[in-house]
Amino acid sequence: MSKTHMLLRNEPGERFLLLGNEAIARGALEAGVGIATTYPGTPASEIGDSLAAVASEAGLYMEYSTNEMVAVEVAAGAANCGVRALTAMKHVGLNVAADAFMTLAYTGVKGGYVLVSADDPNCYSSQNEQDNRLYALFSKVPCLEPSNSQEAKDMTVSAFQLSEKLELPVLLRTTTRVSHTRGPVIYGKLVKPKLKGEFLREPNRLVMVPANARKMHIKLLDKIEKAERISEESPYNFIARKGNGEIGIISSSSAYNYAVEASEILGLNAEILKLGMTHPVPQKMIREFLEKHEKVVIVEELEPYLELQVRTIAEEYELDVAVYGKMYGKYFPRNGELSTRLTLTGLAEITGKKSPINFKEIDEKYAEAVENLPSRPPILCPGCPHRASTYVIKKVTGGKAVYPTDIGCYALGFMPPLKIGDSVICMGSSVSMAQGIRKATDKDVVAIIGDSTFFHAAIPGLINAVYNNHKITLAVMDNLTTAMTGHQPHPGTGITGMKEKAEKVLVEKVAEGCGVKYVKVVNPFKIDEASRILKEAIQYPGPSVVVFRAPCALMLTNEKIRKGIKIKPCKLTDKCTNCMACIELLGCPALIIDRGKVKIDENLCVGCGLCSSICPYKAIECSETFQEVSE
Amino acid sequence: MKEFNIVLAGVGGQGILFASRILGTASIKEGLNVRVSEIHGMAQRGGAVISNVRIGENVFAPTVLDGRADILLGFEPLETIRNLKFTSEKTFILMNDEAVPPPELARTQREYPSLDEIIKKIRRFTEKIVIIKAADLALKAGNILTRNVVMIGALAATELLPVKTESLREAMVELVPEKYLDMNLKAFDLGYNFVKERKVKV
Repeated sequence: MSKTHMLLRNEPGERFLLLGNEAIARGALEAGVGIATTYPGTPASEIGDSLAAVASEAGLYMEYSTNEMVAVEVAAGAANCGVRALTAMKHVGLNVAADAFMTLAYTGVKGGYVLVSADDPNCYSSQNEQDNRLYALFSKVPCLEPSNSQEAKDMTVSAFQLSEKLELPVLLRTTTRVSHTRGPVIYGKLVKPKLKGEFLREPNRLVMVPANARKMHIKLLDKIEKAERISEESPYNFIARKGNGEIGIISSSSAYNYAVEASEILGLNAEILKLGMTHPVPQKMIREFLEKHEKVVIVEELEPYLELQVRTIAEEYELDVAVYGKMYGKYFPRNGELSTRLTLTGLAEITGKKSPINFKEIDEKYAEAVENLPSRPPILCPGCPHRASTYVIKKVTGGKAVYPTDIGCYALGFMPPLKIGDSVICMGSSVSMAQGIRKATDKDVVAIIGDSTFFHAAIPGLINAVYNNHKITLAVMDNLTTAMTGHQPHPGTGITGMKEKAEKVLVEKVAEGCGVKYVKVVNPFKIDEASRILKEAIQYPGPSVVVFRAPCALMLTNEKIRKGIKIKPCKLTDKCTNCMACIELLGCPALIIDRGKVKIDENLCVGCGLCSSICPYKAIECSETFQEVSE
Repeated sequence: MKEFNIVLAGVGGQGILFASRILGTASIKEGLNVRVSEIHGMAQRGGAVISNVRIGENVFAPTVLDGRADILLGFEPLETIRNLKFTSEKTFILMNDEAVPPPELARTQREYPSLDEIIKKIRRFTEKIVIIKAADLALKAGNILTRNVVMIGALAATELLPVKTESLREAMVELVPEKYLDMNLKAFDLGYNFVKERKVKV
């Protein structure tokens, strides 16, 4: 008998340990969400994955959409038929979806629609650390910001109610620390999903031609004014800690947690106004809070989003209060992740209180301990097909071409020793930036992109290369999954979020359909053949596409374990001259040096055989079965 | 108990997130407040992994403040050093002696430091350190991948945790797939007995 999935246990009042992202999924289930859409991205991925895990049993529809804009549009279609819908994405995903999102605020929705944006302060897994609360202000939609798993669950349920009350999308904004922290969650009741609704023709509301859009903009302004009155009454905006009136703190999200603990450690008797609904901010509540204190500190992560608004209120009502934050005086950083330590340091500086912890002493002692400590950045896994593909690209071009790369594991190819990867800005940027670089330099340009990223954002760029005849080569690193975010399916995998079979959309067919005349598929582990074809592609007098296809090593390893197939590591024979070529050319973590000699770490090696095929002395033996499992 | 802080540190693939989850689930079973902070995504790919488990009624922040760890559970010697910032002379360190050399070492043709050197460095922060042969014990239990559970068993044996050993075992019953449960419980016991037999002074 299989256990009921934790997220489907209908035990109201019981306490469970949930990741912030799982709590959001649970909240959606308690709100009876009918349609959930997502494009995976850290730190948001587990929201979609959790819903995918329970979708068919719970009776809702879940899909991995091709990109965030498509995800928003699919959900918006459903929400406008009165079905509750949710879309989850990482912060930069909202840039992709912004075109849809900004105008969806004008049309509004009928069924509740919640867009979850998981922001990533400190860029743990991202290319930037933008603060998406500004999108709420920008688009004029309400924003809720949980600080822990319980709130993440509760606010998701509330967000649906709020959305229906205002007929507006609601932005639920988390950060990495909220999404990726487990904490206790007390369950509410599960609600049976409502999957079907009705589409009513309302062209004045839904057809955003200029005449209608102008009117809907006025309606939107009315709605957000109404939202402000709701914010004043919201149970999520409240005095979380009583103080002695001397100093006040206004905070939200994870920053609130640091503010509480830092005040405690400093022995600061601060009153804390915790804001959970941060757009629109409760102006009256903030004004009253400012009137009660001589000093008010805004503790928030990334942008001075609350601070800007608090200062405006203080200015408008000519309040006699000193406001401290990061805009002036810079008591807290505007970049990176906030912490108890940074909050404590800022509060100590503002109040003149002395930190009971001597951080300087800790830092000095620590600096001494980690001097010359080798770093351990993320790296391509042992057996990763991207290592083979990147090696082929480097070998064929001699490292002399330009290599715009993209968002995915293969971006790690920019690290030594391969050092293939010259630019990454956003999903799909490789293929288009390549064209500008080629035009401006006449150099060979090999753009690198993954399979999931190809479907997400490369197609218009590829068509552009054909249409404007840009002579670039696009290397598609097709590892048959969305690897970095946790092996979600995509259009090329032939499986859906509902775990149903689907039409496999093949990269090579898409490329041909875009009008590319040179399209070839290679196995990156067959180095000679792959090299010959890549060389041909680069010499081709027009845009060319080479698909390097081999399954993700992690996925393959798991598959082997599941099927009980033994993984056979490669073996170093006595032909090894210790020339170090394998280590210097590949940088595989399974190749180590032990007492001056090359050694294969048998716990790490999966037997992909790449080192064996490049060894100048044929000193590495490999059973060469690693890649032979997948269908 | 106001707060009890555990830092778990090692390399992606060593099962650190799962070990943290056992600690978190056991805490929930005892009705305690808890935060388990994890790192996912790109940062996991063979890179340094750190997880924080904080138990207690006064716990809000997901992360441990510098110098405030009660326990540092080091899954790899160099990663134990990398996280000494969280320790003080009060911190108890349990360290798996299994070295995973960072590729940078091979590339720059440097050797992995000796265990003695590493322990010497650690002793500048705290004297309370126990070395666990987690990889050997995990293999004895049936699979190297159970090293994380060996470490949890070893931690339980110190009797420092605010959760009962029985709750940790219950958490495992809940979290480990049935076909691997016996092997994991065996790994847990091996870790537990390893520390008990050495009569570690706490």
